[in-house]
Amino acid sequence: MVARREVLVLCLCVTAVPLDHSQTSVIARLPLATRSEIMARARKLADHTWVVGASNLTAACARNYRSDWKPGQRVTGIPYRWGGIDGPEEFDRKLAKGLAAGSHERYGILSCATGIDCSGFVSYSWGLSSGHAYSTSNLRLIAGKPKDNWFTDLKAGDALNKAGSHVVLFTGYNPDGTINICEASGSAARVICHKTTWSRFKGYIPLRYKAIDE
Amino acid sequence: MKRPWVVLPGFLTICFLATSNAGGGQPLPESGVRTIPLTRSVRLPTIKLSQGQDLEDLSGNSALVVWPGATDEPPEGPNGFDVFDDGSFVIADPLPKRVDEFDGSGQLRRTWRPGFAPDSVTVLSSGLIVVREAATGQSHVFDREGHPHAGQEVSPPQPSATRLVNRTTATVARPGKQGTLEVHFERPGLVLLSLESLATDDAGNTYVALESTGGAAGEGIDVNKYVRKYSADGRLLSEVADIPLDYYVTPVDELRVHKGIVYQLYVASSEARINIWDMN
Repeated sequence: MVARREVLVLCLCVTAVPLDHSQTSVIARLPLATRSEIMARARKLADHTWVVGASNLTAACARNYRSDWKPGQRVTGIPYRWGGIDGPEEFDRKLAKGLAAGSHERYGILSCATGIDCSGFVSYSWGLSSGHAYSTSNLRLIAGKPKDNWFTDLKAGDALNKAGSHVVLFTGYNPDGTINICEASGSAARVICHKTTWSRFKGYIPLRYKAIDE
Repeated sequence: MKRPWVVLPGFLTICFLATSNAGGGQPLPESGVRTIPLTRSVRLPTIKLSQGQDLEDLSGNSALVVWPGATDEPPEGPNGFDVFDDGSFVIADPLPKRVDEFDGSGQLRRTWRPGFAPDSVTVLSSGLIVVREAATGQSHVFDREGHPHAGQEVSPPQPSATRLVNRTTATVARPGKQGTLEVHFERPGLVLLSLESLATDDAGNTYVALESTGGAAGEGIDVNKYVRKYSADGRLLSEVADIPLDYYVTPVDELRVHKGIVYQLYVASSEARINIWDMN
C-alpha cells in the first residue's frame, strides 16, 4: 500500500485579460445550434448517397489527379475535398456540372472539385455553412474547451481537435468505453461515422461550440 | 475527475491545485503479473509521396507508400494489417491501391491489386483474406495470391462483447462455457477508459486491450494502452504496457494477436514497423 499525502494549495489569482471585443462580436454573430440540429446535419453529410459519373473522375484544373472512385459507383457520404465545405445540395449541383468528386491536399485546393474537409465538416455541422472561415487552427475562436470530464461528460456535437492536423465530431460513448465519431476522412475519402478508440486521439483537445443552444 | 481550476466571471480565477505523491500515474503492475517487454520490431520499407507527384510513379515500387499530409490533412498510408500462420504480414497499402505481403523479417514477398484502396485486412482461419474497401466500407475476399473469391463469407469474425462497469472494472463475454471474464484495473492516478476483446486462443486464454488515462487536466487527451492475457479460469497472467501511441498514420487495424503473440502496426514519420510482444 503506497502512503498517500495530499497537499491542497489555494491560490487567488486576479487576471486582467478582458475578452477581446472582436472576439465577442464573432461569438455574438454565430448561429445558435441545438445538439439535435448538429447531429442531423452531420448525419445528412454522412448518409448522402450519390453515383459517380464519368466526368466526376477527372479534375481539369489539377495535374496528376487520381480519383478515389470508380465509374458508376454508388457512394454513401459526401466525398473528402481538402479546403471544401459543400453541403449535400451544393455538392449535388456541382456533381451534376461535372466537377471532380473529392480531392486531397496533394492536388492543391481545386476549384474544379467538390466535397468537404474535416474542419469544413465540423463547421457545417455546427451551422456555419456559408464559407470555410474556420480551420483546425482557429476553431478555438468559436469553440472552447469543455470544463467537464472529457472522458465521461462530452456530448454529441462536441468536437475533438488537433490544431493543424484534424478535427472530428464526437457523437457518443459506447458501453465498452470506446467512442463514436463522425468525420470527413481523407483516408476513407468521404464523410463517415464510426466507432473508434481513445488512443487515436492522443494530443487532441475537446471543443464545444460557443453558440450551442442547450 | 475534476479540472483543477475554475474560472469565474469578473476576471477572478480561483485555482485549487491538488497534488499527490501516490505514483503520479506511473503504472504499478499487480503482484505476480508478468510484464512483457517488446520482443522485437520488424521494419518495413516506406517511401514518401511528395506534393504533385503522380501516384502511378510509385505503383511499381516495392515499399509502402506514405503521404505526409499537410495543414488540416493528417498523413495517410498503410493502416491495416494481419498475420499469417507462418508469421508473415499482410498490409493494406491504400495510396497505390495495393495489398502487400512481407515475410517475418520485413522482406516484400508479393504484392497485388484488389482494384480499390484497402484500409483493413483480416486473415481468416481458412487462409483467405478479407479486404475492406476504404472508400465504401465494403469487404471483399481474396486468396493469398490476390485472386478474388466471390460468394465467400465476407464478414471478418466479430470480437466478443465487452462492457465498462465502472472506472476500475470491465467485463468480457467469452465464447462457449467460459462465461464472463471480469477485468480489474486499479492503478494509482489512472482510471480505466475502455476495454476491447482481441482474441481467444486454443487454450482458452483471452487477450484484451485496455485504455486508461491519468486525467484531462493537461493540454490534450492523454491515454495509455495495455494488452493483457487472462487464463481460461480468469487469472491475469501477463501484460504489455509499453505500446507506443504517437502514430503518424492512424491505424485502422491497430493490434492483432496470433498464437499468443501481440502485433502492432506502427507507422512513424520516418519508418513503418510491426512491433511484436511474445506473451507465451
